[in-house]
Amino acid sequence: MAEPIVAGVAESDLGETPDRNWLDNAGIATVRALEDAGLALEDVDGVAVAGGNDYMPALVLSEYLDLEEPSVLEGTEIGGSSFESFCGHIGDAMARGRADVVVIAYGSTRKTGPGRDQSLEITHPVDGFVRPTGLFRPPGAYAMAAQRHMHEYGTTEEQLAEIAVSTREWASMNPKAAHQDSISVDDVLESRQIAEPFNLLDCCLVSDGGGAVVLASEEKARELGVPEIAVSGVASTSTHRQDISEMPDMTTTGAAVTGPKAFEQAGITPDDVDVAQLYDSFTYTALVTLEDLGFCEKGEGGSFVEGGTTAPGGELPMNTQGGGLSYCHPGHFGVFVLIEAVRQLRGDYTGDRQVDGAEVAVAHGTGGILSSSSTVVLRREA
Amino acid sequence: MSGSEPAPVEDRRDSWEGPVPIPSGANETFWEATLEGELLYQRCEECGTSQLYPRAVCTGCGTTDPPFETSEGVGTVYSYTVCHVPGEPGFSDRTPYAVAAVALEEGPRLLALLDCDPEAVEVGMPLEVTFWQVSEEAAIPVFVPR
Repeated sequence: MAEPIVAGVAESDLGETPDRNWLDNAGIATVRALEDAGLALEDVDGVAVAGGNDYMPALVLSEYLDLEEPSVLEGTEIGGSSFESFCGHIGDAMARGRADVVVIAYGSTRKTGPGRDQSLEITHPVDGFVRPTGLFRPPGAYAMAAQRHMHEYGTTEEQLAEIAVSTREWASMNPKAAHQDSISVDDVLESRQIAEPFNLLDCCLVSDGGGAVVLASEEKARELGVPEIAVSGVASTSTHRQDISEMPDMTTTGAAVTGPKAFEQAGITPDDVDVAQLYDSFTYTALVTLEDLGFCEKGEGGSFVEGGTTAPGGELPMNTQGGGLSYCHPGHFGVFVLIEAVRQLRGDYTGDRQVDGAEVAVAHGTGGILSSSSTVVLRREA
Repeated sequence: MSGSEPAPVEDRRDSWEGPVPIPSGANETFWEATLEGELLYQRCEECGTSQLYPRAVCTGCGTTDPPFETSEGVGTVYSYTVCHVPGEPGFSDRTPYAVAAVALEEGPRLLALLDCDPEAVEVGMPLEVTFWQVSEEAAIPVFVPR
């Protein structure tokens, strides 16, 4: 079956954007990604939006961009993995001939905007059980999952810290990254305690910003003459909402289901992956995802990441833009893992930042509190 | 409901500054029982599925309004964290404090504040329920080492 091609990617300005709202950032990212693809707003057949401060984000962005008769409107909200999930839905729409150009977009003012403490949680009956415990969410909930992993598999805080250190090495080469100064395992362990076993440097940063990914049908992409980065496999699932007590097994995420499915669809195995962009809301998120996607055995994530396996020059380059831990994290990081995967496959970088000869990338989104998982396999066509 | 000794209910209405549960729907029965020192969960008569938080449907077979049972109020720490940053208003004087996912003997898990030295907590630690009454309508389950 025809595979959608990623024709363009872009971020809006990142960091602090006090004069913008979420929609501005999504809109700016969209036009920049279209420009990257050699397209214009008038070419757009539809949008897929999640994470905006609005319950009808696809309609809002369509109006904002003044799209004419959009045929694809996607707003399925499954948290930070929504954007990977969109790749599947849009691929289906394109296979049916319903669209040739669809933009996946995200924008946020998580850091400077109003209402960042607001939450829909109060509308859910489980909140009476969770909020009076005082659990600091999301960090405390992820921390609880990490603690269980440490109990079952002997994973250590030092091993979790290795992920923060390796990710920072990548960030040091990214001028757009919020934190570029190098850190050591001790720096992570000595940073402020947040929710045990997490210290501050185990946690993602908080920023404003947006991102967009332009998907084009194969036919359209050929017309454009862009490098053909194909969406070769997509799978999504969920294990619970946002209530960590309801997570069936805190040491296994939905990635254990979506990884094998997406890899099979793409006809690859984890060994074929040249570069991995894995959602890293916390160090543990990346560690458990490495295991669940099959890059190492279950429970061996800790020893796998020791010694710079995921750092520049390592066996599995991961989060090569600096991840949510060091680059940006405006709330739903999932769009940024797609953007970086595409740039690595296109060979956009120079020097150590470019993963040599990268042909196959995996972009993995995690949403809610380890609740939803979506895996996308991207492949550079010869 | 099966009979078991009610757990102690401590009146903390004057000192509690944290969020309070707002009983509604299937939760009303649950919170009403907490005032009497009873921890309820739902157990489906059709398929035997046990569940918490209360819901209008059984997650095993879809039966509507599965009945409540009284938990023995004992379980173990499935996992936990020690919060050094308060997660809710009214918790800033309490840090550091431990929050656990408690595996009840009857099966379901629930999140709860632990009332003990946070550094003493470990996975598998046996716990029993007590209640802190935080409003006219609800007493929150708070677990202590057994």
